Amino acid sequence: MADIATAKKTLDALKKAHNSGDAVKAASLLGTLKIAVSSFPALPPVFEQTKTAADELSIARDTFEMAVLHAVTSGNEAAAERDHAQLRPFYVDCRGLMPDSKLEPLITGLNLTRLLVQNRIAEFHVELETVPARVADSAHVAHAVALESDLMEGAYGKILQASMTPDALPAKEYAAFMASLALTVREEIAACIEKAYESVDAAAAARLMGCAPADVAAVASKRGWRGDGNGGFLFAEEKKAPSAEDIPAHELINQTLMYAKEMERIV
Amino acid sequence: MAWRKKLTAQKLVDFLLASLDDSNPSKQSLVDLAGGEPSPPPLSTPKPATPKRRSSRGKKQTEGDVEMADAEGGDTPATKDEDGDAAGDANAIPPTPPTPAQRALPETEAYAHLLVLLLLLDANDPECKSASVAALNRLSQFNRRTLDALQARIVFYYSLAHERFGELAEVRPSLLALHRVAALRFDEMGQETILNLLMRNYLHYNMYDQAEKLRSKAQLPASRSNQQQCRYLYYLGRIRAIQLEYSDAKECLTQAHRKAPKLAKGFALELTKWITVVRLLLGEVPEKKDLTTAVSGGAAAQRALLPYLELTAAVRLGDLEKFRAVQEAHEAAFRADKTTNLVTRLRRNVIRTGLRRVSLAYSAISLDDVAQKLGLGEGDGDVEFVVAKAIRDGGIDATIDHDARTMHSSDATDVYSTGEPQAAFHARIAFCLDTHNEAVKAMRYPDKVKKGTGDGEGKSAKDRDLEELAMHIMDEDEMDEF
Repeated sequence: MADIATAKKTLDALKKAHNSGDAVKAASLLGTLKIAVSSFPALPPVFEQTKTAADELSIARDTFEMAVLHAVTSGNEAAAERDHAQLRPFYVDCRGLMPDSKLEPLITGLNLTRLLVQNRIAEFHVELETVPARVADSAHVAHAVALESDLMEGAYGKILQASMTPDALPAKEYAAFMASLALTVREEIAACIEKAYESVDAAAAARLMGCAPADVAAVASKRGWRGDGNGGFLFAEEKKAPSAEDIPAHELINQTLMYAKEMERIV
Repeated sequence: MAWRKKLTAQKLVDFLLASLDDSNPSKQSLVDLAGGEPSPPPLSTPKPATPKRRSSRGKKQTEGDVEMADAEGGDTPATKDEDGDAAGDANAIPPTPPTPAQRALPETEAYAHLLVLLLLLDANDPECKSASVAALNRLSQFNRRTLDALQARIVFYYSLAHERFGELAEVRPSLLALHRVAALRFDEMGQETILNLLMRNYLHYNMYDQAEKLRSKAQLPASRSNQQQCRYLYYLGRIRAIQLEYSDAKECLTQAHRKAPKLAKGFALELTKWITVVRLLLGEVPEKKDLTTAVSGGAAAQRALLPYLELTAAVRLGDLEKFRAVQEAHEAAFRADKTTNLVTRLRRNVIRTGLRRVSLAYSAISLDDVAQKLGLGEGDGDVEFVVAKAIRDGGIDATIDHDARTMHSSDATDVYSTGEPQAAFHARIAFCLDTHNEAVKAMRYPDKVKKGTGDGEGKSAKDRDLEELAMHIMDEDEMDEF
């Protein structure tokens, strides 16, 4: 039988523990609550219509939402993905069965940002399509979309700035993602510097990458940049004389063989 | 399909009364659904198709439309007389009534169900939903391959009926079950149709990842009717576009556009919209005439394409301001076409195109001027990153001078000294070879045509000549080897 009252009490305790930042207690409460929720009959995919169906659904949904938030704040991306996957049927299939969750925009925004940080852009866009219009207009999802747009365009300055100022974020939970995003962005900037500049000195590189000069040296050695003696870096390659190796022989041979095969084929 | 417009309730009831046995369980319900009134006696009542053709349908593809047109050929003398009085009866070809054997066939019953469905759908009657469910329930009692073609059509209209009345989600479980059954019975036509219907269902609700999962796991049946293949390519193209695989998407969508029948103007319009957006995302700007004069469908189609035309103009100019204005102005249209997110992704292409124009026009330009031209605003150093990323992605050929804050474009290299012409040739050659292979695969035996004996002789003479010629050519080839 569904034990609604105890589940509700545990849920409230969990929320309090999470808000006060007590991660260990939150984790243990979460465990108990998940086990309790798994015995509710009204959940997807069974959807048995008991008297307390609406209550069960909302408690289960709140549980998984707290699970996602907890995973995000403790930096556990895999758990965040799993919990969001468990949460999705509640958003999609149960939309009419209970009042909308206030945390939905936040959770959706966090999920999209997580996909972005993990560089799964295709899945990001597929997820974005399934988000309903009401949630898509919220500040959280708009923030995630703006981040993706900046990343694609190359407006890294904006992203680095956003990661430095936590107040600009719609919620404090994004802070964990922004840190890893900043790392990704730095890598990208380093790669761009290699291609775009003929030479750059250390101070300029530090300013571009938004980090201290010491880090610049670390990145340079990792990527194999050539130093020019003054602490700067050179990227221009020497022009090699054209040689026989420049002809893409393999490719041409493959292509010609394909033509011959197709032409001679008897059907 | 011209007879479909002429189908009235009365004619249908006549057909039902004549072609179904009284002991048939569905007969009464079908007659009721069709309105129950046969037409008044004096007028001749042309039947939509002679019953004999129906049972020979067998394994033929869903060129059911083509078959109907064939059958209608026998009808026209009769229908011409319908407008006037009964006086023209003498010229009418009297339709052959169905034989008792044909009346007992389940195919006849399935055909009757299909006709009633068509009538209700064209009249936008909400009864069509329950009628389609009843038809499917009745057909599920049989396991005959000859019913496959009819069943595929009925499933299609079942899904269409529910879609028209907004209940598409409820159809999904039964479609999945039907697909399972079709796969078990090797019902290829059914499998094909239902797979397309399921994909349409998922895409209607924007569930792209589920559509992709289904498509990748389901077995594609071997026989592909042209219409179903067009639909399949369209849905696949949409999924690929959302998944950021634009080259695949463009290939699928353009293939669908080519294969689509001339009459499918709405379909061609949809395809044009998607192809335009995908081409813009790939970085190539479609010609203006592709979106205006070359579009079939006249003024209405051009009006529908107007948002996309303006979008193309904004991207070609590389003007961010104009792009944003177009995006806001036509937001409703994009949302209806479900291309909103794709259009949002175009922002980066606008910037890229603008940068390319600038780098081609200037050999050296300060970064602030670049920012001003692109409309990026003074975002302290952002422009530098944007240019650097564009250079890294290979969009433009330039270098940045950090201290002087300028961008220097590199000199244009001679294209013919690189491998690019060969690559372009290769793409075209591969395409021609593919088309040739597909054409060969699509060849079919010609229909048996009855000819007089005189022609027969002439034909065989020609054949003999051809054979001799072929022999000569072969002999010559053998000579060449020596």
